[in-house]
Amino acid sequence: MRVLVAVPALNEAAVIGQVLDTLSKAHPLRDVVLVDDGSRDATASIALKAGARVVSHAINLGVGAAMGTAFKFAVQNGYDAVIQFDGDGQHRPEHIAELIAGLADADIVIGSRYAEGGKYKSSAARRGVQRFIAGVVSMYARTRLTDATSGFRIAGPRALAVFAEHYPVEWLGDTVESIVLATRQGLTVHELPVVMNERAGGTPSQSVFRATLYTGRILFILGLASIRSVPPQLKAARRQTTKEVTA
Amino acid sequence: MTPQVLAIIMAVVLLIAVILLLRSYVLPEKYAVLWLIASVAAIVLSAWPALLDTISDFFGIEQPINLLFVGAFFVILLLLMQISLELARTRDELRKVVQRLALDIEKSTEDKDD
Repeated sequence: MRVLVAVPALNEAAVIGQVLDTLSKAHPLRDVVLVDDGSRDATASIALKAGARVVSHAINLGVGAAMGTAFKFAVQNGYDAVIQFDGDGQHRPEHIAELIAGLADADIVIGSRYAEGGKYKSSAARRGVQRFIAGVVSMYARTRLTDATSGFRIAGPRALAVFAEHYPVEWLGDTVESIVLATRQGLTVHELPVVMNERAGGTPSQSVFRATLYTGRILFILGLASIRSVPPQLKAARRQTTKEVTA
Repeated sequence: MTPQVLAIIMAVVLLIAVILLLRSYVLPEKYAVLWLIASVAAIVLSAWPALLDTISDFFGIEQPINLLFVGAFFVILLLLMQISLELARTRDELRKVVQRLALDIEKSTEDKDD
């Protein structure tokens, strides 16, 4: 199975060299694509020099769109699976082999910070919010998920076919809505425990007000995802395959 | 049929239209919130017109209908401003994309010439 590691990155010039260096020990850089989401610094040129393949967005479109580009790139270049690996150094390369192995009995495998065996320090409020969201998403996925907002995940061949046609671009849609979308397409989602590093830059939201707003938005996104029909792109793709079958 | 029934029907039709647009991926989440709030407010106000009187009293407006006009006018102004800002941003992004594309095409034809 050919596996592509996709690294969505925005202005990560300070850390991207080191991230790719550690990544190269677990996965060859010629099978790594850095999706530069409109960075204003040297992120793209550093990655190119390191030996990774680079796709640059002319403008900033968000993580969801960057992953959408990565899925299309994977299909175009004949890959069977795509691993999302963040460019900020939060994810650890040693879990990549486990994610690939996990595809044996699932279409999507999510690396969870909170699953049994995973260690991740965070405030009680944040954990509570995450647990609540994960509980709601678990109901949709009909399997126990503990970390719905984790970006460290692998999409197998069947999931890749779906995501290359349509991947949610709205805020948090790329993590939460994509699980609901995949489940409704009949794909299976599993998780495995991972250890994540502290984020190199940026402070996660901590205040109660922000946490409430965040939860509210996620619930709104989930509500939307559940009333939404099949995305028009997927409908078109499906029509095409049935035509080919009947022809 | 009273005018109130007509108002409720119109407000419900608006809400259904917003939900259908959301469902078919035409209306993005970003704009959906404002439209959902507006249509729910329209339903509430048409179902309980007395609410309008209470709010007008609070603001000291003698004709409750004026509150409705002022409120609706303000909301529409806000929506218009949002659309103007989005349009400006989209034009700016379009310019960047076209410039980038033009430069990339020039570069790739140059590479072929070598």
